Amino acid sequence: MTRPRVLFFGGKGGVGKTTLAGAVAVGLADRGARTLLVSTDPAHSTSDLFELPLDDTPREVLPNLHALEIDPTREADRYIADVKARLADTVPPRLAGEVERQIDIARVTPGAEEAALFDRFARILVTEGTSLDRLVFDTAPLGHTLRLLALPEQLDAWTAGLIARREQVHVLGRMWQRVAGTVTAAEAPDPVRDALEARRVRFATARAILTDPGRTAFYFVLLPERLPILETERAVRALAKYQIPIGGVLVNRVLPDDADGEFVARRRARERHYLDEIARRFGDLIRATVPLQAADVSGVTGLRALRPLLACDF
Amino acid sequence: MTRRRIGRRVREALRAARDIYEGVFIAPYRAELFREYLRRRDQFFLIAFADLLGAPHPIGFYTLELYPHLIEEFHQWHRRLGVEHAPEGGFRCC
Repeated sequence: MTRPRVLFFGGKGGVGKTTLAGAVAVGLADRGARTLLVSTDPAHSTSDLFELPLDDTPREVLPNLHALEIDPTREADRYIADVKARLADTVPPRLAGEVERQIDIARVTPGAEEAALFDRFARILVTEGTSLDRLVFDTAPLGHTLRLLALPEQLDAWTAGLIARREQVHVLGRMWQRVAGTVTAAEAPDPVRDALEARRVRFATARAILTDPGRTAFYFVLLPERLPILETERAVRALAKYQIPIGGVLVNRVLPDDADGEFVARRRARERHYLDEIARRFGDLIRATVPLQAADVSGVTGLRALRPLLACDF
Repeated sequence: MTRRRIGRRVREALRAARDIYEGVFIAPYRAELFREYLRRRDQFFLIAFADLLGAPHPIGFYTLELYPHLIEEFHQWHRRLGVEHAPEGGFRCC
């Protein structure tokens, strides 16, 4: 059976998403799968984890493993520069300064960077990542990520509506030209409709990938603590609503059996309670339990030490 | 009356009849069609550029790329809205 090619790792802030996503990516690369690890959290920490300066172009971390951090600021700047370049062909020179100023205002509106981040995310999902065996997404805390994953459906519907309206306008324009006797021989293409359609196709393709259990799996990382359990339970329901396939739950930083001492024993009793709670709520979704490490997990060597996770078949 | 004059009268009458037919049936249809065209085009702009009027919408950032193609229609749109110059905070054509 083939495994889903696209893996997401998400969870509440601070539960170890980046670490576990990194460890899984290293594990996959070690087994020979060409893997790209992508951080979609604007507050990146993948660079810190691998102790490498990463940016928005893929950089080799290991043989078979590349990593990148999506940079929303840079994506938005790039998009704006592209729009400006194309405006230069259509805007009369006397308006150029004013037009540039207005485009710069649009650049700083709320949502611009989120839209730019989503655009890059969708491009990696739909095109850039297709030459690889595996795509591993290390996501932002759940609220942001749920929005990111819900966007393709919403934007697809929205763009489809806009295209339908644009086509109506086009048809009525042709009808009127015909009645007025000014109709031109050739059916003129509508670049606005074409631009919208290109967008819509990307949104729809992203959605098709995200909702296909054969291609996508979302893994939740959580800790044996009250708040992560509650938040994860809500997120599992939310993902089900958006029809995004859930791969399972990874329980991180569980006290190892050989940890000793009075204090640790008391902590373990508390933890037992939450582990039971996790078993009760998530049951057979639990894929791995990762013990708390004595030292910081850092670098490829540190990640390879997370053996229970690496043994897991993703 | 010569045959030529009769012929001219008939042609004039036919032309008048055609003009009346056009005026009564075709012209209102044509005007209505044009109004409908403008209405639909206004609706398209209203939705594509709602953010310029202060109503945020999900693909505002992505409709920026439509400006190069729409600069002319955009100008007509805001003039039809009764806004002499392009709205502040968005794309300016004048």
